[in-house]
Amino acid sequence: MSIIRDVIRNLLSKPITIEYPRKLTPIEKDFRGRHYADLKKCTGCSLCAIECPSNCISMEKLPENIKLRHNPRGLYPNINYMSCVFCYRCVKVCPVNAYITTNEYRLSSVKEVYSKELTIQTVG
Amino acid sequence: MLEVSEIKEIEDILANYIVKKDVVKPNRPAFYIDANNIRDVIALLKQRLGDEAIYISNIVGVDKVSDGVIEVNYFIHLIPFSNTIVIKTSIPRDNPKIPSIIDLLPGAYSGECETYDLLGVEFMGNKYLRRGFFVPTDVTSKNIFPLRKDVKV
Amino acid sequence: MESEAAEKATSLIKIPITLEIPIGPQHPAIHEPVLLKVYADGEEVVGVDIGTGYNHRGVEKLLENNTFYKDKFITSRICGICNTVHENCFVRAVEYISGMEPSARARYLRVLVMELERIHSHMLINAIMAEIIGFDTLFMYIMRDRELVMKAKEIVSGGRVLAEFHMFGGVRRDIDDVKKEKILDILKKLEPRLKYYRRLFEEDPTITKRLMEIGILRPRDVVSHGMVGPILRGSGVKSDVRAEDRYDAYNEVPFNVIVKGEGDSLARMLVRWDEALESLEMCRYILEHLPSGSAVVDERKLPRVFPAGESFARVEAPRGELTYYIQHIKGDKPYRVKVRTPSFNNIINSGFSYLRHSIADVPVILVSYDPCISCMERAIVVDLKNGTEKKVTFRDIAMGKVRLR
Repeated sequence: MSIIRDVIRNLLSKPITIEYPRKLTPIEKDFRGRHYADLKKCTGCSLCAIECPSNCISMEKLPENIKLRHNPRGLYPNINYMSCVFCYRCVKVCPVNAYITTNEYRLSSVKEVYSKELTIQTVG
Repeated sequence: MLEVSEIKEIEDILANYIVKKDVVKPNRPAFYIDANNIRDVIALLKQRLGDEAIYISNIVGVDKVSDGVIEVNYFIHLIPFSNTIVIKTSIPRDNPKIPSIIDLLPGAYSGECETYDLLGVEFMGNKYLRRGFFVPTDVTSKNIFPLRKDVKV
Repeated sequence: MESEAAEKATSLIKIPITLEIPIGPQHPAIHEPVLLKVYADGEEVVGVDIGTGYNHRGVEKLLENNTFYKDKFITSRICGICNTVHENCFVRAVEYISGMEPSARARYLRVLVMELERIHSHMLINAIMAEIIGFDTLFMYIMRDRELVMKAKEIVSGGRVLAEFHMFGGVRRDIDDVKKEKILDILKKLEPRLKYYRRLFEEDPTITKRLMEIGILRPRDVVSHGMVGPILRGSGVKSDVRAEDRYDAYNEVPFNVIVKGEGDSLARMLVRWDEALESLEMCRYILEHLPSGSAVVDERKLPRVFPAGESFARVEAPRGELTYYIQHIKGDKPYRVKVRTPSFNNIINSGFSYLRHSIADVPVILVSYDPCISCMERAIVVDLKNGTEKKVTFRDIAMGKVRLR
């Protein structure tokens, strides 16, 4: 037996390469992608910042015009996506389940990307 | 897992050298022996169990600053019994020398070289020991052994 | 004077002049940074020195300075292709110290992920073997079919290569019926391809001419030099950690230990294909017989401080026997962790097996041992922020100042 038959059959059919930027790759719904905190539930306890293995979460103070009753210290987590390894330890260890997860994987950029804008938008 | 009769058989082989018995989880028998007898123990095991029956699984050095010793543990896997036994020795911290077993079991070459490079334990009789085996040269030029507890690398 | 002495001489001593050829850390023949200094007389190899130390990372010192939970994520990044088995060994070693027991469903799911990883690791090393002997077509075909296995791993665990699946006391995700059907579909598409490749390795003259009778190892040499894994099983010694220790669910899932007697490179590659087919059958059995119950651990309720003790855990990685030894005295950071990967024994102790072969056989023998140098040495840190490769001192790594990637 030889591999010639397979080769000829594959020469005459179309290639299986997916031309990535023009067509999207098929991906699962619960792939570990970009995640951010939801200010409607976050209490500012900083557990996610303590437990992160790559130390990329920093706690920031809330802006002046937002006052939340369930967040007495006024802190919220800000993730640096360039050092995050997407292990989802912060998602699982949060006591009030305050993280929103997506399967967005197209995160390469030439400058630093933070989760600040997405988090502030949740309160409107 | 090891049956009671098999543990008894190993203990009979090494009966003259055992100082204390212990168990490392999960149920691997451990024997404490004196550091100078290590070559006799290995030769005895090889002779009684055959040439194709044992291999060195690991050589570990543990730096215990509070007791003033360095523990050197040999993990030996016995193929006919399908289990691993642990032989524990300890040597004084300011003069760490122990006889080498590389001519009896040549598989100990990698373990002994690594323990010398990272902890400073010298194996007498092993002529392949050298400092640049794993550790990069900027650390070896300061003449320190990285894995000791009192070293801030 | 000298000519008279030369005429009266009755015997001649022939001194072979040897040529030192470095098959060095950067070389098109091998994909790993290891230095093989080969001393050759003509075309025949007479001596080999193995030089290591290009990639040392200081992982053991790093593991002593972080808590147990962060350590679990660090051990997963020691090796990219065998990351699930490193995590499994560390998690089991800590479970032996603290006395936690995972549930039955969690144990079955752990075995599922580990067997999927074994299939795609064996396909990778066979593709590399085909590439270095020049058979590029086969390399491309095996890589195309390997994508199916990575898709299956993504369905189960959420990541194609790095599956952060284990946690102390169980696993982190669960599978439902929809996912189970998808994985069974993938396995059905994969099985005829694996059988086709196995037949090709046995019968195709391109492969057998270069792999038969090369690098023969006798059982006594293999055992006394401490080599593990498919090298042992390709030389006739029956020893497999899954059958000896029976950890996780291996006491309930049936499987055979594959042993071949010839001891040459072709026997080692065929052992790997047979193991991949066995793993496929095991994955099917697990998916059809999953016990019910809960497998996911609530990470908020796990203890922070672990009791004192020592333990020694072994696991069967795709390359051999992987062991972790943990000694813990007090606190929430371990006192000593020792990692011994299978490539450590296989590559460093293997200098004796290249003798009396020709130079063209040296890459073939080296790849049949399955080198994985990042497992072996565990160090170079590349600073990606400035795009420069900075030599980071050990102080920064030990203090935790360097960000993990």
